[in-house]
Amino acid sequence: MTTKLETLPAPDRKSAGTGKPTNHKPRVRESRGTLAFSRAQRGKSLMKHGILILAGGLMIYPLLWMVVSSLRPNELIFREPGLWLNSLEMGNYTSGWSALTHPFGHYMLNSAIVVIGSILGNLVSCSMAAYAFARLQFTGKKLFFGIMLLTIMLPFHVVIVPQYILFSQIGWVNTFWPLLVPKLLATDAFFVFLMVQFIRGIPRELDEAARIDGAGHPRIFLRVILPLMVPALATTTIFTFIWTWNDFFGALIYLTDPDMFTVPVALRAFVDSQSATSWGSLFAMSIVSLLPVFLVFLFGQRFLIKGIATTGIK
Amino acid sequence: MSAISELSSLSRRKGKVTAAEKKANSRDNKAAYIFLLPWLVGLVAITIGPMLMSLYLSFTDYNLLQPPEWTGLDNFIRMLSDARLHNSLRVTFTYVFVGVPLQLAVALLIALVLDKGLRGLPFYRSVFYLPSLLGGSVAVAILWKQIFGTTGLVNQVLAMFGIQGPGWISDPSTALGSIILLHVWTFGAPMIIFLAGLRQIPNMYYEAARVDGATTLQQFWRITLPMLSPIIFFNLVLQIIGSFQSFTQAFIVSGGNGGPSDSTMFFTLYLYQKGFGQFDMGYASAMAWVLLLIIGVFTAINFIASKYWVFYDD
Amino acid sequence: MPLFPRPASAAKQPAGRPSPGPSRRTRKAGAVAAAVAAVMALSACGGGASPQNADGTVELRFSWWGGDKRAQLTQEAIKQFEAENPKIKIKPEFGDWSGYWDKLATQVAANDAPDVIQMDEKYITEYSSRGALLDLSKYDIDTSKLDEAALNAGKGEKGLTGIPAGINAATILANPAVFQAAGVPLPDDSKWTWEDFGRIAAEITAKSPKGTYGAAAYGTDEASLGVWLRQNGKSLYTSDGKLGFEPGDIAEWWAFLKKLSQDKAVPSASEVVEAEAAPLDQSGLATGKNGMAFWWSNQAPALEKASGGDLKILRFPTKTGSAADAGLWYKASQFWSASSRTKHPQETAKFINFLTNNVKAGEALLADRGVYPNSEVRTAIQPKLTPADVKVVSFIDQIKDELGEAPAPPPKGAGAIQEIIKRYTSEVLFERLSPEDAGKKATDEMKSAIAS
Repeated sequence: MTTKLETLPAPDRKSAGTGKPTNHKPRVRESRGTLAFSRAQRGKSLMKHGILILAGGLMIYPLLWMVVSSLRPNELIFREPGLWLNSLEMGNYTSGWSALTHPFGHYMLNSAIVVIGSILGNLVSCSMAAYAFARLQFTGKKLFFGIMLLTIMLPFHVVIVPQYILFSQIGWVNTFWPLLVPKLLATDAFFVFLMVQFIRGIPRELDEAARIDGAGHPRIFLRVILPLMVPALATTTIFTFIWTWNDFFGALIYLTDPDMFTVPVALRAFVDSQSATSWGSLFAMSIVSLLPVFLVFLFGQRFLIKGIATTGIK
Repeated sequence: MSAISELSSLSRRKGKVTAAEKKANSRDNKAAYIFLLPWLVGLVAITIGPMLMSLYLSFTDYNLLQPPEWTGLDNFIRMLSDARLHNSLRVTFTYVFVGVPLQLAVALLIALVLDKGLRGLPFYRSVFYLPSLLGGSVAVAILWKQIFGTTGLVNQVLAMFGIQGPGWISDPSTALGSIILLHVWTFGAPMIIFLAGLRQIPNMYYEAARVDGATTLQQFWRITLPMLSPIIFFNLVLQIIGSFQSFTQAFIVSGGNGGPSDSTMFFTLYLYQKGFGQFDMGYASAMAWVLLLIIGVFTAINFIASKYWVFYDD
Repeated sequence: MPLFPRPASAAKQPAGRPSPGPSRRTRKAGAVAAAVAAVMALSACGGGASPQNADGTVELRFSWWGGDKRAQLTQEAIKQFEAENPKIKIKPEFGDWSGYWDKLATQVAANDAPDVIQMDEKYITEYSSRGALLDLSKYDIDTSKLDEAALNAGKGEKGLTGIPAGINAATILANPAVFQAAGVPLPDDSKWTWEDFGRIAAEITAKSPKGTYGAAAYGTDEASLGVWLRQNGKSLYTSDGKLGFEPGDIAEWWAFLKKLSQDKAVPSASEVVEAEAAPLDQSGLATGKNGMAFWWSNQAPALEKASGGDLKILRFPTKTGSAADAGLWYKASQFWSASSRTKHPQETAKFINFLTNNVKAGEALLADRGVYPNSEVRTAIQPKLTPADVKVVSFIDQIKDELGEAPAPPPKGAGAIQEIIKRYTSEVLFERLSPEDAGKKATDEMKSAIAS
């Protein structure tokens, strides 16, 4: 990501060349910060914080309950109400971690392989397709775009069987390929469409300028468009991470060997609808499996913010 | 990553072509198809086949265990007199027309609040996104019951005021409402997309507006909304498509049966029950293509209407 | 409806596959269908079944549903088998209940089914009548020590397609702590009637703190309906695969439930619906909110563990007050089945025979899948069972002489019945339909579900 950001001077130079006023004031927050001296402003921001904390607390109450429950002995989880903890019970974490055939980290590693492959695949293939749809004129564009949208309109339950037949013919069942290859081939039309919308929001003059300088499409794509759509790429990364990390059905269908299980499939092993569920372990491992996603989100949102607004173009 | 290096070497070779194209400035078929290549391969190899197969199956009697048998329009004719299917359409339409606007409004509002101008925004963003991280986790059903069950949190609070609340998720008259609420609760994805979109709006517009003395509200109507319109449009289109196909939440909360009394029997849930529960995959495929048609019509309306309110910078 | 003989051998010959020929197709669908048919034909000849390795070892895929405890017990049994049969390797595949069926259906459709399949009564006819399961009677599996009723449940038009893996009986479980707190004595289950049941349950509710009820509602599965019908001289299904009762019979059953609900003997309608979706350890019985509840016998140990106290296993009440009329039967809690497409039927049968008759398998599996159906193994492993399991075994032995005739196996489409029962039960409890109307509508729906 950072390497792409370093390529920024190119468009910057171009925009300067076309005579657009270049604004080098880096951040809005600072320009507003000067206003924050007044008492009224401070009161207003305090009120904002209050509302946000209240709303946020409501939003994550269920999650807090889950965290608290994971720290309770199993038999008390549904007996003790509220968020009050009488004692800290770490047992759920230790027993949950080693309750299954493999330590829980094994499943997280499997998930990580699938997730990383999916992210790379989506970033490369979807952005390429999106560039073509957003910026290039070609025969059959409208038709292809329509087909692409059609592919997300069909409920996936009816394509599972044909797709499974396809992958089992190739001999890919019980490998990660059925989960990875579609991502490498931009079958997640959601992200293609997302990036198309973002690219269309990027001023055309920027690539016109680059074109006048003799840049071809690959160059415009890599040097102008990609750096400017970092928010979209960050969004894609975050969503691909979360959705793949949480994907149950695909992993369920294609991974039959317990050694290959990903996190969501492994989590189901704690739930047994016909006998006892170890809720404490389930909650504890659910939280453990949320951690990487949460961290990626915390880290990734830095890139969300790096839009045109902060790079100061135009 | 190798694809990128390949592309940059391509760009060197393609320098002359683009120079010629600059004059023509109409079509760039070759470049476009190269950019589209991964997507095209995915379409042909992975996506289209299973889709066409499900289309074929919709004209057959197919129980998964034996080869399909051609029955012509039988499945579609049966749908006309399937009262449960009609009910599932009613449920799904209610969900789409109440849930989507509500969720998008909340997501946009929170995105505007969390965009800039306050300390600790990364923290708040993460908190508000947290519920969406859960996805289709098995824990969601338990969490939701803790809150909306007959003896859940909401009713405990109501009881303090002497009100005996219904079993929100188990009463047929309120169950759909509680699923819509669950949907709104997970507004994280559209919120992130809005946030990323907001960051793409060039600062200079706001600065110019401030110089002209525009109020915050005027800035929102005159700058934010039109500049964000491609992203609003994206969210609207995708949320409508996604909500018509909504499956996981109802599946998890109702334990897979769409109950009570079919009040949360979404179209895709019914389709899934038909296909996998009752081994009527032919009928399920027919349902899927009817849904595709419905979604297609709404998406087309969306695209036509977008000409009047979505603003592109190209 | 034409028959679809799909012998295992046909799998190797795509030409012999009765896929719709081009001549029968309408013209407009021609091109698409041809492509599709090609894909489907490919799926028929591929065969994902286990290969035979160069050194002569055979690999079998073995698939079951259940939690992690079951996985560990089953893997122990696999280890024992592999020690005895070094030339056969068993590859386990497992998952939770709902995912298991989606996956199995997909695998069978793609001709990629596991060799050994754990099967449920609900779906066995579905799979066997469509030729997906192997007739095990043709192979060397000893069934002489198995209970006959449970064994019969695995027999169908395609032969013996399932060997019982465990046996069960429908029971009412009582939580003595709830009875005691309410000051109500436990009933004598050898002579209680449905009226007694309703009266006792209502009494517990009245004498207990708010939110505690005498009994959980029935009406969430077909077992309680099955018992009720048998006590009235009817049955769920007839031996020729039709419904064995009239709308009036099921309406009576719901009318009694409605009365229980009005007397507050059972929880409110919304609590009943919530309980349906709740996992076992969150049921009212386990959390001490219900005095009695309807469960299969093999679930008693798990419930006992979840409730943290003692539970008592009771017979169903009767109309006459004599336990001999309870109409109970031994149900196969689940079956061992084999894929009809397996390339190693001999080895598969050998493994199933091991699971069924070998004491070592019994010592590994214990009572996890219900009481062991092989009476010899059952006796041999008794000392290793937990007290809760022993309680179940003795209950099963105790009712042996009171059993009714074995019920007819569920017909094709019976997988949908439970869902229909559930749905109309909530319609009745929420008073959206009268028991009579619900009875009519439900039977219509059930008839069409099993007719197709």
